[in-house]
Amino acid sequence: MRKNFGWRVRISVAMLVVAVGVAIATTSTVFGKTNSKHAVAAAALKCGMGTGKPATGSPIVLGAIATNQPGTSFTDIPYMANAYFMCVNANGGINGHPIKYDVLTDMTVPAQVIADAKQLISTDHVVGIVGNTDILDCAVNGATYAKDGYFLIDAGIAAQCYASPWSAAVNMGPRYSGDGAAQAAILHGAKTIVIDQSNVPGYQGNAAGIQLIAKAHGVKVVSLSATASSINGETEAERIVQAAGSNGAADLIFTPPVAQQILQGAQKLNLVNKVIWTCATPCNTDSLAKSLGPVWNHKLFVNAEMSDVHDDTGPDTALYLSVLKQYGSAVSGGIGSFSQFGFVIGQLTVQALLSIKSHVYTKQTVNAAIENLKGFSTDMLCKPWYYGKAPVHLPNNTDYTVWPQNGTMQVVPGSGCLQISSFDPEVGQVRAIEKANGL
Amino acid sequence: MPSWSSFQPFIPIGLALGGVFALSGVGMVVLYRATGVLNLAFGAIGALGAMIAWSLINNAGVPSAWAYVIAVLVGGFSTLLYGTIFGPLLAARDPLVKAVATLGFALILLGLMSWLWNNNNITRSITFSTDNSTAFSFSAVSVSWTQVIAFGFGLAVAVGATVFLRVTKVGTAMRALADDREITATLGVPVRRVEAAAWFGSGILAGITGLLLADLDTLDPTTLTFLVIFTVSAALIGRLRSITVTFVAAVVIGVVDNLVTPINSITNYRDMTPFVLAIVALLFFARGRQYSFARGGVR
Repeated sequence: MRKNFGWRVRISVAMLVVAVGVAIATTSTVFGKTNSKHAVAAAALKCGMGTGKPATGSPIVLGAIATNQPGTSFTDIPYMANAYFMCVNANGGINGHPIKYDVLTDMTVPAQVIADAKQLISTDHVVGIVGNTDILDCAVNGATYAKDGYFLIDAGIAAQCYASPWSAAVNMGPRYSGDGAAQAAILHGAKTIVIDQSNVPGYQGNAAGIQLIAKAHGVKVVSLSATASSINGETEAERIVQAAGSNGAADLIFTPPVAQQILQGAQKLNLVNKVIWTCATPCNTDSLAKSLGPVWNHKLFVNAEMSDVHDDTGPDTALYLSVLKQYGSAVSGGIGSFSQFGFVIGQLTVQALLSIKSHVYTKQTVNAAIENLKGFSTDMLCKPWYYGKAPVHLPNNTDYTVWPQNGTMQVVPGSGCLQISSFDPEVGQVRAIEKANGL
Repeated sequence: MPSWSSFQPFIPIGLALGGVFALSGVGMVVLYRATGVLNLAFGAIGALGAMIAWSLINNAGVPSAWAYVIAVLVGGFSTLLYGTIFGPLLAARDPLVKAVATLGFALILLGLMSWLWNNNNITRSITFSTDNSTAFSFSAVSVSWTQVIAFGFGLAVAVGATVFLRVTKVGTAMRALADDREITATLGVPVRRVEAAAWFGSGILAGITGLLLADLDTLDPTTLTFLVIFTVSAALIGRLRSITVTFVAAVVIGVVDNLVTPINSITNYRDMTPFVLAIVALLFFARGRQYSFARGGVR
């Protein structure tokens, strides 16, 4: 009996080792690539002060919170900001001080998001909070940030990220990006727009702007929602097409994996040409264009809150691509809006830090510098970005429309910069503030 | 209420998914009949195979066909591994304990997959070349070969398993084990080998199920792991005994779950389909009987 059991255990362990070995072997290719990328990180990229010498002073501690759960991950944004910070640290940091960046994640659990903010503020003693991209953060931690005097540069999701004096986002978030996608659909003749989105907390607000814009153009709106983790691509695609009817459009507000599921479902059911397919910014990633394949060439209009890196030959885009290549091993989605957000957040933060003439980096000085940011120009945005004192912040309110073309997302020819419609009342409010302040 | 034409496109989608649920349901029932184990790790095992297949294809450049074979074998051997280690240790325990143990195995596999494939930003998918080839059409609804294969495979496995259990020596031994493990052993039946065959065969079906669901649904470890709920419901409706009833139940669950999609008032509640159908069926079967979870618990 004992002998038999030993034989069984040996065979079992051998099989387990083989199974785990296969799994690790098949995933390790990715790990291998990332390590090799790190190995060449010493090339002469100029970021921040551009001294070419590593910063060795006491660190400036910054923090971020990002949603990371199956089907919904926004970690690429702070990870790309961190990639830029690594480049800055290799170039003298901020007057000799390296940036230390704590990125915490959560799974859309309010208690966890509150605990993350508490850790950043009370335990890690961060002097600035930048790069937050979280479904709940602005809603549950807003009062804390306001009370403690933090001014966030983030990639917003919840409405509070935009309708507050303490947060300015580099992106538009699902609501305004969804507006942009709807505008593309209207521009291409849609008579009905079906909004489909994940039923995460606060999702209902994303449809409000689209409904007002559509109403102003005499277009009907149908609002659908689904739990991202239980979506069947084919079922959801058929559901959308039926709701859209003839001359209809779909406005997808999902993360890339879920959007891919629906779009591939549409492809399997031959529904690609049944409606005008549009998508909010998360779909602006080459990995999605590549996985969809050439069938989707010019068939999907994606609102892109940042420029198309394939056409953009500006210095910021060139630096973004270089930093992504050399320091962005953790940025899993690669080239796309998410990593562009992170890069711009990094640049804005460094510009704010370098503007502190006293070279004293406390919570007060850092957040004052962030709030004073104004006229930040980059070739990634249609117009200059600003913070400033205002009850609402939506500095990125004019953007691009891209579509898949042979595995990449490229600007729709002739589309130029698209102003998000002022029929969405909050956009109208922001435009009024810009006009009053000469922005 | 939507028109009939609104429901039609959801029929082939539901039949295909129902066929895959039937495939896994049959694997679950056969294993239960042979070992007394309700394998709640069925979905996680399939997911592991599918994730490995994806990595082999996309990271290691392995041809798809070989990757699929490996995925199926991973399902078979990982199930056999569990059965070999824990089957004998838990043989005398209550079926509920055995089922909970497999739930633990499922969570371990889910954790392993979350660790190995921790990147939630990547868009992963498994697509078969048959996805975009139309097998036939009806009323402007195209049915792909993948959908035909999924349903056909479920049907074939159900028929094959029924014949296997009735005709073959191993199948007869499995049925004998289901009735009384100890007496079967005293009759000279190599219990461990028969059980191992059941574990391995069930695991192979889990591997195939994982690949098909990765194409028909999504390649996501969590989603695939918990799609086992549909399978368990079908198997429970079949009272963990009848392959025929399990097959029919799985197909009905798949079709009903999809057919309620166009009905806006209830479409957001369609995830309840397997639970509702299972409860209704169990209440129907339990009329005038005492029902327990233990094997042979219906009196």
